[in-house]
Amino acid sequence: MLLNNLAPRKKTISITPLIDVVFILLLFFMLSSTFNQKKQLEIKHATSGVSQSEGEAVQIVLQPEGVVEVDGAQYRVGEQSFAQLLNTIAENDSHVRLSARASVSVQSVVELIDMGYQAGITQLNLSESVE
Amino acid sequence: MMIFTHTQKPSRPKRQLDDSMVPAINIVFLLLIFFMIAGHIEARNADLQIPASSSEGELVARDIEIQILVNGEYYLNGQKIEKSLLASLQALAPSAESVVTCHIDRNLPFSALDPVLSAIRQLNIKRLQIATEQRL
Repeated sequence: MLLNNLAPRKKTISITPLIDVVFILLLFFMLSSTFNQKKQLEIKHATSGVSQSEGEAVQIVLQPEGVVEVDGAQYRVGEQSFAQLLNTIAENDSHVRLSARASVSVQSVVELIDMGYQAGITQLNLSESVE
Repeated sequence: MMIFTHTQKPSRPKRQLDDSMVPAINIVFLLLIFFMIAGHIEARNADLQIPASSSEGELVARDIEIQILVNGEYYLNGQKIEKSLLASLQALAPSAESVVTCHIDRNLPFSALDPVLSAIRQLNIKRLQIATEQRL
């Protein structure tokens, strides 16, 4: 009988298919995963409490090309005096009503809100665009 | 007299060739694990590039989510809004404690946000969150 031929032979498993699969997985994860985390800017619309502080609210209107109108006076976004003004608003804990011209991009409005929050403004109200 | 003996390189066995691949496979495995753990997978939409900010507030999934694409289409909780945003929002019966999360494309004019702002004011919703991306 030829039983000897059927004895288990040490056989090496080819790892090439395994590497193929691992490479495909690697490519998938490399291309589909994102690393930047989503954050949020919160705007608290104090719809009920706004009436009492309506009078002392600071009205900020963002205009195209980085011009900001604060209660009628014009500033530029990058200006030192505008940064000081934001700090003063934050110190006085004044209510800010922010708006923008219809043509201003969302990104610039978000940047202005960001500046305001970084200056320490807590009461910020966003209202519809102005013409 | 010199005798040049042409020694033929012995053909390496196949097993040895596989062994030299092992460090490469180790690196690939490490990369795979890195991308699996460090990155996170999410649906990306070329028509919705959210604005960048330096805000630290984490975005938590809320019950009301509005998406505004660059072509001006409004989506409420993933469904396209055909009628007015106010009517669609009202159908969800939001309370005063509801939080509206708004994903808006950064290149849109600010007026695209007007329907959202007026709707949440009329429905007396107090909290609006604008989704932003962390600036790198």
